[in-house]
Amino acid sequence: MLTHILRRLLLWIPSVLLVMLGVYALAFYGAGDPIKLIFLRAPGDVAYDPVKIEAIRDQAGLNRPFIVQFASYIWNLLHGNFGNSLLSGRSVWKMISAAAPVSMTLGLCALIVTAVVAIPLGMVAGMKQNTRTDYIILGTAVTLWAIPAYVAGPLLMVALIMVLPGGAIPYGWGGLFDIRILLPLIVLSFQPIALILRQTRAAVIEVMSEDYVRTARAKGVPEVIVALRHILRPVLTPVVTQLGLIMITIVNGAIFVELVFGLPGLGRLTVQALTNSDYPVILAITLIGSFLVMASNLLVDLLYPLLDPRAAATTEAR
Amino acid sequence: MTVLLDVKGLTIDIARDTGPTRVVDGIDLTVMQGESLGIVGESGCGKSLTMLSLVGLLPNRIKATGGTATFAGRDLLQMNRRDLRAIRGAEIGFIFQDPMTSLNPVMRIGDQIAEALIYQKNLSKPDAMIRAEKLLNMVGIPGARDRMTAFPHELSGGMRQRVMIAMGLAGDPRLLIADEPTTALDVTIQAQIVDLVRDLKAKSDMSVVWITHDLALIAGLADRIAVLYAGTVVEDAPIETIFDNPSHPYTQGLLASLPTLSDQPMSRLASIAGTPPEPGKRPKGCPFAPRCDRAIPICTASVPTLKAMPGSTLTHRVACFVATAEAT
Amino acid sequence: MTAATDTRPSNLWRDAWKRLRRNRLAVTGLFIVVLLVFVALIGPYLTPYDFLSQNLDARNVPPSLSHPFGTDDLGRDVISRVIYGARTALIVAVMVTLIAVTLGVVLGAVAGFYGGTFDKIMMWSTDMTMSVPQLLLVVVINASLKQPIATWMENMYLSTGNQAFRNTAIIDFTLVFGSMALISWPPYARLVRAQVLSIRSRPYVTAARALGLTNRLILMRYVLPNAMGPLIVAVSAGLGTAMVLESAFSFLGVGVNPPTPSWGNMISDGLRVWTNHPHLLVAPAAVLAVVTVAFNFLGDGLNDALNPKGQK
Repeated sequence: MLTHILRRLLLWIPSVLLVMLGVYALAFYGAGDPIKLIFLRAPGDVAYDPVKIEAIRDQAGLNRPFIVQFASYIWNLLHGNFGNSLLSGRSVWKMISAAAPVSMTLGLCALIVTAVVAIPLGMVAGMKQNTRTDYIILGTAVTLWAIPAYVAGPLLMVALIMVLPGGAIPYGWGGLFDIRILLPLIVLSFQPIALILRQTRAAVIEVMSEDYVRTARAKGVPEVIVALRHILRPVLTPVVTQLGLIMITIVNGAIFVELVFGLPGLGRLTVQALTNSDYPVILAITLIGSFLVMASNLLVDLLYPLLDPRAAATTEAR
Repeated sequence: MTVLLDVKGLTIDIARDTGPTRVVDGIDLTVMQGESLGIVGESGCGKSLTMLSLVGLLPNRIKATGGTATFAGRDLLQMNRRDLRAIRGAEIGFIFQDPMTSLNPVMRIGDQIAEALIYQKNLSKPDAMIRAEKLLNMVGIPGARDRMTAFPHELSGGMRQRVMIAMGLAGDPRLLIADEPTTALDVTIQAQIVDLVRDLKAKSDMSVVWITHDLALIAGLADRIAVLYAGTVVEDAPIETIFDNPSHPYTQGLLASLPTLSDQPMSRLASIAGTPPEPGKRPKGCPFAPRCDRAIPICTASVPTLKAMPGSTLTHRVACFVATAEAT
Repeated sequence: MTAATDTRPSNLWRDAWKRLRRNRLAVTGLFIVVLLVFVALIGPYLTPYDFLSQNLDARNVPPSLSHPFGTDDLGRDVISRVIYGARTALIVAVMVTLIAVTLGVVLGAVAGFYGGTFDKIMMWSTDMTMSVPQLLLVVVINASLKQPIATWMENMYLSTGNQAFRNTAIIDFTLVFGSMALISWPPYARLVRAQVLSIRSRPYVTAARALGLTNRLILMRYVLPNAMGPLIVAVSAGLGTAMVLESAFSFLGVGVNPPTPSWGNMISDGLRVWTNHPHLLVAPAAVLAVVTVAFNFLGDGLNDALNPKGQK
């Protein structure tokens, strides 16, 4: 088991590095000279002195070979240094640590809401396959899946403003225990809920036809216990493996939700950086996003043998 | 001897988009207390569905639509779900065909056996575990204590089927239904499982229904055999009668297709020409008539019912115009 | 899939069509998708207004008979812009899916058929691409390549004098097609590879090999026809996804930029003024919602119709 974890970790680190390398290379070759960009952005007519720029480039280490610069970027990353924003000159790390709590709170809550809502509903839909209940649940899920957050958010806001008296627009951020978190949370959860609900339903339908479910019933086990122990337990395995995909959905969704509802999180930071070509910020956020997804995939990999003893047997044997 | 299970005129339909299709067409069966009944038939003749219908375990879209199934004085087909659940495991135990798929792969086998005891015998968890270990010993699993914490995939096929049997017996049922329990096993293991069930049965007053398509396998186990064809019982007789004096042409065909040691080497085994009719496409008369070389005009015109063979005891019944006519 | 491979193709398609027709949601989806294509193709000739023509006397007019979806802040007719937006969405969706499917089918088939190092590299790159959140990846690609492409276009204009190189819409479209295709191909490649692997080991392919058929023939005659069903389902879902992505990027300002109308940038504009002029937000958002739901219903219907598992 321990060797299994170590092996996965050793395979995982190079993948993370490779993704970083790819993203960094895009930035390095595509974005253009950061010093020039700073000068172009500077207010007023700052003298454009090639000699001076070259000196700054040397000082900043921008004349070193690509791979050296990449290594030093990683080295700085490991020390919590993401460089400085081209736009404001502030430390990217500070900008991110100011914005991250908002996104993290929202994302974690969305994850919990998803699990609590989607798995039971998916169970019900699957166990009542092809009934009216199933159609209603599934139809709602398909609709939720199809409508993007930047459509659902505004439409909900418009609907709400028609019902509520003016002035009570749920816009802005007040933390986890503020009523204003509700709408963004609901909208952010839509797609993950739809995803997990359909996954759960499909898995339930498959498990329901398994012989061992019939065996459990033949033993006289009550229906509730059959559902919880013999259906839900095996269903969780394929559902949990979707964690990486859910993370992608949440990271993607958070960008829009934060923008639509005016939340000061990483998503809004991304959009601001994007409109200003603030490369260090974009790079840092992309790396964090990919890291989150890859970390969830690793977590699933490590958890899998615990969920399925058959998989444990094969990994032990290897 | 008292009658334990009495099935009369049972019909089972599959709901299809095109309408219901009949798969079991009026089956009559009787199981006495302490008796072993073998049910023989080709795959698709409805033998498994008949047994599953008794305890309400038919798959979705398949339903028992007619007849009665009286078990210890109560009609199983009219029972509500709660009462049926009380019957499962406690009164009627099941052993299924493929122990690999019939055991929950993510649950330890001790827990799976104990589960039956906890919900049907109201045992506490520790008591149930002790009893489960005894059951494992009883079905001949070596090192039962260690095996309690094993997962199904860690056992061999024969061992898994022994676990299935332990589970089937956990509730001390009055009737044990074994649905082709040896089909998925190696030939050498098959005999062991048959012997095990026979020995276990000898120690109690339990009745056994053994479903199989292999006549030879249950020769040493069953007291009586019912032969099924296309959703109906075509012959029902004590085991000796079936082997020595089969009356229905289909039973005769089945027996003729068994290889025996006295057969000439390289000689051809007898086979029955044609295939059984598909459900929903059964002929008007006797379902076997199209494949029967002794069919007479009446066979294709009307359906024979199960009748006692003239000149024999009431326990030999057959559904064949030719056989009953010849005997009189 | 066994059922699908056992029957002859003509039967498969006919049966699938029959099953699809019975699915009311899928038929509704199909109807809306066909309507969308129709509107995108001939829509501009239907609308009474040009999507660019401004009428500063009639700004932010709420929906009325002459302007069914009202007008925007420059007095442009919203329904004309929505219809033109359908064109944008459809062009992007079709082009992106075409590029991604071609790339995916070729790479997936080659990887699955020949295996080895190429297969490893292919699988690894799909893994990598799929573990970066798509939006962020496109954001990075866009931010990186926009400047170089713009510079290149400017140089081309200077050297050739061709006005086409000054059209910023072309830059937008190139970037959108490129970056979206780049993130969209991996699922297709994996699907085709999995199909190839499962079919490659079937006895009838071994038999064909024994008869001396070349790999290319086997690929064309056995593997691709079998992969058709799942591929059609994937493409139908992919078209819907590409449409949503296009509007998402336009919404963020990294896709199609104004004045070319896209539902995404219309929603983004509408979001700024929705408290006073909700129709500017509701019109494009509702249309986008209906179309994506339609694509999903159609995709699910196709999936049930072409992969009739457990449909006994």
